[in-house]
Order: sequence, then C-alpha cells, then structure tokens
Amino acid sequence: MSEHESMKELLALAAAGALDGEPQRRLDEHVRDCPLCRRELEIWSAYSHGLRRLPQPPAPGQLMERTRALVLQERATAAERRWNDLMLGALALFAWTVGLSFWFLLRIFTGGELVIMGANLVRLGAWSVLSTILVWLTAAAAALALGKRRRELRRAL
Amino acid sequence: MILAAAMNSEEWSGVDETIVRMRKGDPDALSAVISRYQHRLYRYLLRLVREPATADDLFQQTWLRVMERIGRYDARRNFESWLFSVAHNLAVDFWRARRGDSLDSTADVNDQHGNPAPPGERLPAAGPDALEQLLDFERGAMLAACMNDLPAIHREVLTLRFEEDMKLEEIAEVAGIPLSTVKSRLRRALEGLRAGLETRFPRRRA
Repeated sequence: MSEHESMKELLALAAAGALDGEPQRRLDEHVRDCPLCRRELEIWSAYSHGLRRLPQPPAPGQLMERTRALVLQERATAAERRWNDLMLGALALFAWTVGLSFWFLLRIFTGGELVIMGANLVRLGAWSVLSTILVWLTAAAAALALGKRRRELRRAL
Repeated sequence: MILAAAMNSEEWSGVDETIVRMRKGDPDALSAVISRYQHRLYRYLLRLVREPATADDLFQQTWLRVMERIGRYDARRNFESWLFSVAHNLAVDFWRARRGDSLDSTADVNDQHGNPAPPGERLPAAGPDALEQLLDFERGAMLAACMNDLPAIHREVLTLRFEEDMKLEEIAEVAGIPLSTVKSRLRRALEGLRAGLETRFPRRRA
C-alpha cells in the first residue's frame, strides 16, 4: 500500500479525533502536500461536525419520576425481604432458646421424669424431637403469615 | 475490618458526593443522578435499540441494575463509563433475547459470503458535492436517518464518540472491547454512514 493509500485510511479517524502521536503527525505532513487528502479530510470533518450536531431526542417526560419510583419501590421490597429473613432467623433462634430453657426448668421441677404416653419427655432425645417439631411448625406458620403480608403489600402498591 | 472500611472510605473520597449519597440510599441523590444522566442515557439506548418504548424500558432496567450493583461499583472507575456499560450489557441481553442475536452482529455490513467488504468497495468515490450536500440540506436529519440504517455496534460507537464525546478508552470500557476494535469500528461506522448518505441522497451532477 502506498503512503497516500495508507494515509487515506486514517482520514476518517483523524476527523473523529481518534488519532494522536506519530500517526497524526505523519498524516498532518501528508495532508499539507496532498490536495486530494486535504479535500477528503474536509469531507470527513464535515461528517464529524454533523454527527456532533445530530437532533437530540430528549428523554420522555415523567421517565425520571417513573424510574425513581420504580427504584425506590424495588429497594423497599428488597429491604422488607431482608427484614423478613432476619426476623425468621431471629424467631427460630428465640424458639430454640426458649425450648432449651424450658427443658432445663422441666428437669429441675420434675426431677428428670415426665412420662406421657409411655415416653419420658424430659429425656434429651425425646425433648429434642418434640421441640424440633414445634419449632418447625412455628417457623412455617410465621413464614406463611409473612408471605401473606408481603402479597398484600404488593397488591397495595 | 476497620482497615477495609478505612480503605473503602479513602477509595470513595474522590467520587462525586451525590453518587456517594445515592449509594447510601439517599432518594434525593438518586433523583439528582438520574436527572443528570437521563437525556444522555436515554439517547444512547434509543440509538442502540431504535424503539422509544424499548429504550424507555431499558432505561428503567439500567437504574434498577445500577442500584442493585452500586455496592460493588469500583470507585476508581469513571461512574459515567460504568453507567453506560450497565446499559450496554442490558441492550446486549435485549438483542439476544429478542433475536437470538447479539449487538455485535455485523450481518448487514458483510458481503454475500459473510465476509466484511473492504472499505474501498463500500465507500463511494469522494466528490466535492458530498460536502456541499452535507452542508446544504437538513444535515442533522439526514445523518440521523442514515445512522439508523447502520448496525447497532456502529451506531453505538458513533453516538458514544460524537454525541457523548467519550474518549476512545472510555468507549472501549463501555462496550467491553479492545481499543484497536473501537478504532476499527469507528472507521467502519463513518464509512458506512457516508456510503449510506451517498446512496440515500445521490450526488447531483451538474
């Protein structure tokens, strides 16, 4: 490729301000001595100039307000989801603590024996099974209640 | 943990205060930042997807994504480039979902064998009246119409360079491509635009 051809390839980029350093210097030198490339550069510069002045479509009215409302609503939903998860965890922990404390108290007051339907409920194994079932039932009820509340909130929004 | 917090605070010290407040959840700062970028971001998306309703939808999705990821935003990065790259990625997802295609599709600039046509073949011969026409007629509307005929990747690079006045490095960051690709896309986009203009509005011979 001749020097003229290789410089011609750079003209569009030069007009777009995308050349610098050595390529820009070489192009400047070439354009000074080459009327064809000088003319071509003028044409590309006109395109660049025109592109900088394209009709500017503005954002639709209310787009900002709608976007802001959507973002804030999404944040509120996410915050509530986090709060619900936290509450669920805290409630489960609370239930375990109460269950364990109750087991200790029961052991003290019953002297370690509370037989119901042939099973000694104060024994650790039986108590663990019973309290686990109670905790899971409580957690499921809480989750259902929270889910219902969330659905109601979403409907209200 | 304290050290990490201190480093994080130092990292954010150079960032625009409104963006810092937005990150902390201040609704007024959110409004201010959306307001600051609304026209530019909408225009960028509109140039990419060409449909106002889709641009509107992607605009909202962009801000939802921004707020979702603002905690992971690297404060050393330019916020503007990051914002536009979020919008770019959503536009790419949109194109993929819609056409099973990508924003990078160059089908409409390839020849019948799928190879890109050499620039010389796509570029009509230069003539003085191309410039005259450009200056004489409704230049902006003509250019905008021809720009709409270009592939999305070319519209994108043109709008980022000329309308958003971004540096080539910033364009590379937004589109997630190397600097050399930005340059070649920019050149091809300009050549395509000129070819389109000269085809749509043939030169008047005296």
